[in-house]
Order: sequence, then C-alpha cells, then structure tokens
Amino acid sequence: MTKSNKLTVIFSLLIIAIGVVAVTVWLRSLPQDLTLRFHPYVGDKPLVLHDQTYKNPGGKGNFSIRDFQLFISNIVVGYSSSSIREQDSYHLVRFDGDTTFDQIIIPEVKIQNLESLSLGIGVDPKANGTIMFSGDLDPNSRMAWNWQVGYKFLLLEGMLTVQNEQQPLVYHIGFDESYTELNFDLSNEEISNDGVIDFKIDLLRLFQINSSHLNELTNQQSSEAIKYIDMSELSHVKFSPDDVRIIAKGFHDFISIL
Amino acid sequence: MRIAKIVVALLVILIAATLYILPNKKPDTHLVEFTAPFVFGRFTIPENNPLTQESVLLGRRLFYDPLLSSNNQVSCATCHKQALAFTDGLKTSVGVSGVPLAFNAMSLVNLMWGPRHFFWDGRSSSLENQAIQPIKHVDEMGRNIDELIVVLKQDDTYTKLFKQAFGEISEQGIAKALASFQRTLISSNSRYDQYLRGEITLSSKEELGRKLFMAHPDTKVILRGGNCIDCHSQFLTSGFGTAFDGFSNNGLDNDQTLQAGLFSLTKKEVHRGLFKAPTLRNIAVTSPYMHDGRFATLKDVLAHYNGGIKRSKTLSPLIIEADNIVKTQNDHISLNLNDTEITAIIAFLHTLTDKEFLANRAFSNPFMEENNHD
Repeated sequence: MTKSNKLTVIFSLLIIAIGVVAVTVWLRSLPQDLTLRFHPYVGDKPLVLHDQTYKNPGGKGNFSIRDFQLFISNIVVGYSSSSIREQDSYHLVRFDGDTTFDQIIIPEVKIQNLESLSLGIGVDPKANGTIMFSGDLDPNSRMAWNWQVGYKFLLLEGMLTVQNEQQPLVYHIGFDESYTELNFDLSNEEISNDGVIDFKIDLLRLFQINSSHLNELTNQQSSEAIKYIDMSELSHVKFSPDDVRIIAKGFHDFISIL
Repeated sequence: MRIAKIVVALLVILIAATLYILPNKKPDTHLVEFTAPFVFGRFTIPENNPLTQESVLLGRRLFYDPLLSSNNQVSCATCHKQALAFTDGLKTSVGVSGVPLAFNAMSLVNLMWGPRHFFWDGRSSSLENQAIQPIKHVDEMGRNIDELIVVLKQDDTYTKLFKQAFGEISEQGIAKALASFQRTLISSNSRYDQYLRGEITLSSKEELGRKLFMAHPDTKVILRGGNCIDCHSQFLTSGFGTAFDGFSNNGLDNDQTLQAGLFSLTKKEVHRGLFKAPTLRNIAVTSPYMHDGRFATLKDVLAHYNGGIKRSKTLSPLIIEADNIVKTQNDHISLNLNDTEITAIIAFLHTLTDKEFLANRAFSNPFMEENNHD
C-alpha cells in the first residue's frame, strides 16, 4: 500500500467515524420514547410476588406479597427553560406481569437536555373526586373504592406469618392528602440511548417510622438508624386517617433512581 | 379480426372479474346504534367484527335455533333464557347428552364491559371464541361445525342472512354473529340505574344495602361494610376488567376440594380456585348461585360470606381480613353482619333487576315472532 493510499483509507475511516457520531448525536436530539421503568424491591431484595418471603421489618415473622399496584400520575419532563406535561397522565403500575418490572412509555420526548422529571404517587384531588375515565383511571376497576371515596392510590395485599399463625396484610392507601409529588433531578443522570430511566420502588419505605424526608424537615442526622413498623401491629390500613398518614408518609422516599 | 379478438379478450376479462368480485364483494352492512351509561366506561368491539344490524339479526336467530345442536333440540337459549337474565335456573346446565355440566349457566349481560375473559374459569379470551365452544362441546350441543355449515347452507333464510352479514356461511361467521347478538344485550334501566341517573330515590333499606355493598368494613373508623365492592365494581357490578383482577377465590372450598378455576387457563398455582366474579345485574332472577350453583338463594350467598368461608391457600386476604367486629382470632372468617344488614344488602341486590331488559323484544326468540305473524 502506498503512502497516499494509506492516507486515503485513514481519511475515509475518519469521515465514517465523524458521520456515525454526527448521526448518533442527531438521533439523540430527535424525540423518542421515554421509558420510566419501575423495579419493585423490599429493602435491597427484588420483590417476587407470592413465592418469596421477607422479614417483618419491625417485628417477628415473615411476609409475602400477593398483589402490588399503584397509581403514578401527572408526569412532567423539564428542560432548562421549559417543561412538558403528559396528557391524561394516570398510569396504573402493577407487578403481576411476566416481567420483573413495569414501565410507563411516554412517546415523543426529547431525551437530550432533559433536566428534571416529576410525577405524583396517587391521584390528584381533582381527578380523585370525579368518575371520569382518563388514562388508567377507571371507576369500575379494582383501584376504585366508590365514587364517594375515590381511588386507592396504592394497593398492597399479602400475608404475614408469625409462628405458623397467618395474618392477612391489606394496605389500601388513598385520600387526597396522601397524594405526593416527587421531583427527580436528571441533570447529572446518564440516560441510555434507548431512553430508559430505571427506578426503584422500595416497599420497606412505607413501613419506616422515621423517614429521611422527616429527617430533612427536622434537620436530624440522616445516618440515624431507621426504625420500622411491626406489620403485625398495623396489618391493615384502609380508612383510618391516622394509619393512612403513617403509611403514606413513606411515599416521599418510595421511589428513587436506580 | 383483430378488433374481434380484443373484444373477446375484454369480455373474458370482464366475466372473470365479475365472477371473482361478486362472491368476494363485501356486503352492504349497517352499524347498530346503541346507548350505554357513560359510567360503564370504555368498551371495544373487535375490528374484524363490527357490530352490524345484519350480524345481530343473524346472531339472534342462531342463538334461538336448536338446529345448532346434534339432536336439534338444544339452542343457546335452552341454557340462557331471557326471562332469567339469560340463565337457566339449574344448578348446572344440561345439554344434549343429559349429563349435567360442570358449571352454572352464566348470565349474558353487558358483555362489552368487565373481564375480557369468558366462562367461569376465563378459558376464552373473546366472545367470538366463547360462542363456538358450547356448540362443539359433546355434552352441551354436540354439533360438528362442518355438518352444521352443510345444514345451514340448505336453509334459504340462513343463506340470505349470512350473505347480508358476511357474504358466505362459515364457522367464523357463526361465531361473529353470535358474539354480535350478545354484545347488544345491554341492561341499564334497573332501579339502581334510575337511582344513578337521579330519577328515583332508593328506600331506606335499599340505601343501607347500597352503602354496605360499596364498603370494605373498617372497625377502626366504625365503617360497616358488606365487602361486595372488593370484587364487584360499583357501576357494572361485574368483576374488574383489567388483567385477571376480575377473578377471585371467595372461600367456597378448602385446599382438599379446591377446583382448578383460572388455573386451567394460566397453569399458575396462585390461580387455583379463582373464578370469575360475575355481574350482579339481575341477580335476583339468576339463582342458583356460584360457579357450581351450590347456593339456592341470595340468603344462602350472604350466609356464606357471613361465616361460611372455607380457608385455602389462594383465599383472598381481603375476605379473611374483612370483618365488622374487631378481630380477635383468624380461625373463623366472617363479615359479622347483623340480620338487618343482610336483609338490606339483599334489598339492594333486588334493585339491580332490569324488567325492561328481561322483556325486551329485541332480545327475544325470533321464531316465536315469526309464528305469531303466520
């Protein structure tokens, strides 16, 4: 190979490389599907419905989960100077499918320069007070109580076993005041080319007595050992406002970026 | 000569095209106009089976025709009688073989809403698929479909009706027509519907029953409830439509006698003993109750939930947990409703009877009409 031939090959390769980079950058700037992928956990262990048991975090015995569903709503993606709100943004996230996760796909989002994302756990008071069908909101669904009470924001059902004694676990958490908005800073997050953001949903957060959110509010040391509720003492939460508040407090820490 | 050849060629093409197009020509059909309360929610009709007047007309005739059975004596309507909200009053139905079937005949109402899985064990995922199963089933109608098609083709009325609806007679057409007719069976004028529309008020007893129906009990806030809403949606009163949310183990059997239920479809152990939560519309006329018709009266049904629950590994935790008195032990499962509350819930269930639906002539036997005209 002559020197000029070599130069031609190198030059060509360089052109191709630049082309590939340019196309990649151009593709990334095009709107694409943004996927919010939710992975359920119990502490640091992945949640497996039915078969897997987990330690009662604040007491004796082990528990298993039969059903876990929650509403994620009002998703807003933010850029440096603008934000986009998803239409009819009510998603039922549930974990009884064939995958270990559930996901929400928001079409036509510019992934590049995405700086923030916010979402609500539950159903905002306006929608919770109506019987309209919007997104996954359906007053004839399992997540609906009745039109006078509104929706369950979170449904968690299972069984606690303490010394061969079985105790049903029923957490149906609703009420307007439980609706919780979470904000995620994405400015330092690397979003993969396929537009997927992975989130962890940690069930144990619902049973924390001292949440990190409260720690922030009271300027306590967050390194303080986390205390948990004994599930046998609070095995069902439905309409008692005080109990609902105890569980819903955990919504502030419920979802984090993996 | 050349012109003649061209003319002949064109004629041949024209005749061939006509012969091809005529049988393949889509019939000129007309969509059914219908109304349903918006609280029933969204519904879907399969794209390949639009709800047409022609299809419904054909489906209604097929539904009432004993020609669909091997002994020409059993029609769909044998086990699905309109006056009984399309049930048959039997514990479990009996078809051509005379052998009692495994299941109680399900009411056919508001089928465009609620669970997308049909039969008590959810084994069919579309109305079209469901409609054909009893025809083929050896104990139900025991009809060979190919033979049925031959018989239908010999009948001028069916030849005409199929031509108008689909073009030709086929298994698919039979299924589509039966599904279409069943989709028109909408019940939305019960006293409960009238109450929801603000046209009437319920009696104090019915209103107590309604409140109990719609509530999961919570002793912590002294909320008494019948817990019906945990499986039967507030407006449709059917099982829930999403995934398998409309299926439940409601404590009929213990582990030793637990039947397959939804397990027969999914092969998942966690689905053993789960059956479809049926619609409660017209429930007062659809006795006996449960998938095997084991309870003769609504009182028996309420007695089951009020102390008759049997424990098994897939029993719903909602049923174990639901109690109107503070639970001191988990051995005896009961709602612990009092007699007044039980009577009230039954009174509310009677408000779900839709007399207009039960007598609607659009759903009745078309052969009777024809005979009356003769």
